[in-house]
Amino acid sequence: MNSMNDERFFDLAMKVIARHASDAERTELNAALTRQPELKAEYERLQAEVLIAKETLPLVNATEATAGELPAYACGRLQSKVRQTLGRPPAAAESQSEREQRMMWKWRWVLGLATATAVVVLLVVPALRTPSEAVIQVAMLDTTGVTRGADTNEAALLHQSWEKTSVDSLTSVEMLREWEANWPAARHQPVVKVVYDRAAGEVRVTGRWQAKEFSKIFPVDGSLAETLKQAKAYIAEQTER
Amino acid sequence: MIFSLVKPPDLKSLQQGDEAAWDAAFAWLWPTAFAVAQLKLQLFLPEEVEDVAIETLEELVEKVREVKAVEELKPLTASIAHHRAVSLLRQWFAKKRGAGKTESLDVPADEDGAKHDPASELSPLAELNQTELAGLLAELQRDLKPEFRAVLNDFFWGRLGYEQIATKHKLAVGTVGVYLKRGMEAMRKAGQRHPKLLKELEAFLR
Repeated sequence: MNSMNDERFFDLAMKVIARHASDAERTELNAALTRQPELKAEYERLQAEVLIAKETLPLVNATEATAGELPAYACGRLQSKVRQTLGRPPAAAESQSEREQRMMWKWRWVLGLATATAVVVLLVVPALRTPSEAVIQVAMLDTTGVTRGADTNEAALLHQSWEKTSVDSLTSVEMLREWEANWPAARHQPVVKVVYDRAAGEVRVTGRWQAKEFSKIFPVDGSLAETLKQAKAYIAEQTER
Repeated sequence: MIFSLVKPPDLKSLQQGDEAAWDAAFAWLWPTAFAVAQLKLQLFLPEEVEDVAIETLEELVEKVREVKAVEELKPLTASIAHHRAVSLLRQWFAKKRGAGKTESLDVPADEDGAKHDPASELSPLAELNQTELAGLLAELQRDLKPEFRAVLNDFFWGRLGYEQIATKHKLAVGTVGVYLKRGMEAMRKAGQRHPKLLKELEAFLR
């Protein structure tokens, strides 16, 4: 009987390895392996390569995946990691006067916007709005796990900012993850989580309201009290009806 | 938060810690991290998929300064996610064994009637370090032609025979064999550039 050609051997071997072969094809391959023992090594090699291919192909496919959206609660955590690992990006080379000018423009905008907002708030909003108090959860992450004077003051500041809620004290990143993932059930109210991360020096706000998610990070550049005010204002803005 | 940016981010900005660049990068890389974590964990630890994907991106932040080109980011993400998932599975299996619950690892048989061996849920690719695996994935992305990859996927994972693949891709039946062979050759070549993978192959052959 003639020896089997390469293509036929490859096709049969692949079918048998992938369990696509018919009985006749299996028999044909076994006969060839008996008749030409030199093919046995190639067959075994193919078996191993198929194993690697089956393992690798889905990874290559997954590498090119484009579907799916990063959950909002992860954004803050990931940006904290960026700041902790890479630091804040260097500010663009900018002179003091340029910076001052930029700040002035910013303030003009803010003042203009604030005036307009005040008018809207005073005249229009009260007529339309029905109160819908947000469910706010507050936590302080301190991985040192030790209660110190500073901690107590900071916890007090958090308390003052959100009087109706207790401040959870978290001592590990794992605890924080669990806390962040555990949302209260509130269908008709905004829900907001506020984390003060001492090590990262920032306050992270994440919330859900009216089928939308929002999140923002407030670096504690100056005083914590000031940062908490900003965070509070942001929450109020996001949870307006 | 909705991200519409699908283009790769600027690597230099990422390495400098630019927040906007990272927002874009996280959105761009998330599907990869999640898909790989899901691929490895869905069967045994589905509740860990999202966490592993997030941890993968955190680890990527730590490694970004070692990256030379933005094209390396996705394969590296896949590699990190793979290794994290495999490591988690190992811990989980070890814990189960430690608790004398090996019998619970017997999951239902698959369509072939073959039972999943816990060890096979781990991976021979785990022997490669992260950089090597990322390199292998990048090479395969580059060298394995899409038409060969499509046929390989259908054959191994779609459980389609030669005739069905030929019909699906409007190919001659003979061409299916040729594509399979060329695809396997491309994979073999890529594998040969990774000595540890070859070592795994040899171990399997013994």
